[in-house]
Amino acid sequence: MRKIPFLLLFMPSVLLADEVYLKGAGTISGRIVEQTETTITVDVGGGTVGVPMARVERIEKKRSPLDDYDERAAKLGLQDADGWRKLGRWASQQGLSAQARGAYETVLTIAPNDEEARIALGFVLLDGRWVTEEESYQARGYVKYEGEWMTRNEAQALEANYQASRNAERSAIDAEVAALQAQQQAEEAAEQAEDDQWTQYNDPLLWGGYGYGVTYWPSTPSRPNRPNAPNRPATLPARAPAGGRR
Amino acid sequence: MNGRSRMFAGRLVFLAVMALLAVSLAAASTPAPTPTLDEIVAGHVKARGGLKRLHALQTLRQTGTATAGADRRALVVREIKRPGRIRFEFTVQGVTAVAICDGEHGWRVNPLEGEMAPQALPDDVVLEAIEQADIEGPLVDWKTKGSRLELVGREALGGRDAYRLKLTLKSGAEQDLYLDAKTFLTICMDSTRTIKGWPVRIRTAFGDYRKTKGIAFPHQIETTASERPARLRIVVETVEVNPPLPDSLFELSAAARP
Repeated sequence: MRKIPFLLLFMPSVLLADEVYLKGAGTISGRIVEQTETTITVDVGGGTVGVPMARVERIEKKRSPLDDYDERAAKLGLQDADGWRKLGRWASQQGLSAQARGAYETVLTIAPNDEEARIALGFVLLDGRWVTEEESYQARGYVKYEGEWMTRNEAQALEANYQASRNAERSAIDAEVAALQAQQQAEEAAEQAEDDQWTQYNDPLLWGGYGYGVTYWPSTPSRPNRPNAPNRPATLPARAPAGGRR
Repeated sequence: MNGRSRMFAGRLVFLAVMALLAVSLAAASTPAPTPTLDEIVAGHVKARGGLKRLHALQTLRQTGTATAGADRRALVVREIKRPGRIRFEFTVQGVTAVAICDGEHGWRVNPLEGEMAPQALPDDVVLEAIEQADIEGPLVDWKTKGSRLELVGREALGGRDAYRLKLTLKSGAEQDLYLDAKTFLTICMDSTRTIKGWPVRIRTAFGDYRKTKGIAFPHQIETTASERPARLRIVVETVEVNPPLPDSLFELSAAARP
């Protein structure tokens, strides 16, 4: 695969951002860091996004908020709390979450109790102490269920609902499995009975001798080659995975 | 006038003043009569800007930010065009996802979740999109839209007096709407959505109404789900009334199909 080198990657302040327009709708704004015949990789300033070339409608070079951020950040001193705060606010307004976080984290290294930075980074003032959003939820009695914070009652209700639906699904599967097992057992029993019959017929001790008479006389001397019973699946359906969720 | 006459006249004046006071006190303590449903809807339409302006609203673009906590901030654009077409853009970290509904079908391109090709929207999401594409709001011409509306009563909501209306859309979806008793503007809407197979009560609060070309739009919208602490806050920064929106914005071209 042919790769296009990106020498200008080392000069981000000079490089203009790339606006990648997807076919249909949607865009990705960042800097293309790799391009092959089939894929492009775009650094969006908070990670990279790979896009199949088949989905790309066009690519335009234009100045993006990411360019502005880099330019402004390069001019700020590491002790300039006010400057970083303003830059964090601006980046947040531009939807550049990663850059906003970086700027606000720099503010906290200079002023650990800066209210705006703390709030922007998701901290909550609880009993005079800055705690994370999750810690504040825990302190208020919320629990995390399926990745979402909610009241304990709601989580219990959701779990009960989930268990009920899971039990219903399991009962349905169990019933199906039981029916299949019963069918299988019946077939095995019939098979066994047939085998027994064959055994009986072929075992002189069980033959019963002439005195008992012959109730069944095999038409063929060897066991017939029976095909698989129709409608029997090759394997039983697997149970739902224990940890599965919708 | 002798003394008795003066006393009598004085008593008359006293009684008249007392009667007047009693009447005015009674008037003050009697709650204002609740207007009829039609009067409330008429008040609402007038507060929004009037029927003529609302009917003239053909396209709409609202731009703002959506915030759901730290690191969860997005730039949002909502574009609506009659009849019933809507497009929603959601940009995070330079990556823009788009959901589109042409009034019947819907699809989305969501590179935020690695979906680079258009994906059809589920039926329930299309229904919600169609509801949101009602450019003038659900109370305008509700009868001709096939909705049902009833006045539930007058309630206090967040320290404000509000009329509670129950709206049943043609689709069967139900909404409880709370209209400020003074301004007649919608301040709150309750609805139920099924999330992961479980019905969740959603409350959407509307505030900071401002007019653009004579039509009032909320500029602060906050959504919360019952029993959950998280909240989604949308701040609308710009509202454009009747911007040019080509039909192609709401169509999926053949070339774009996966």
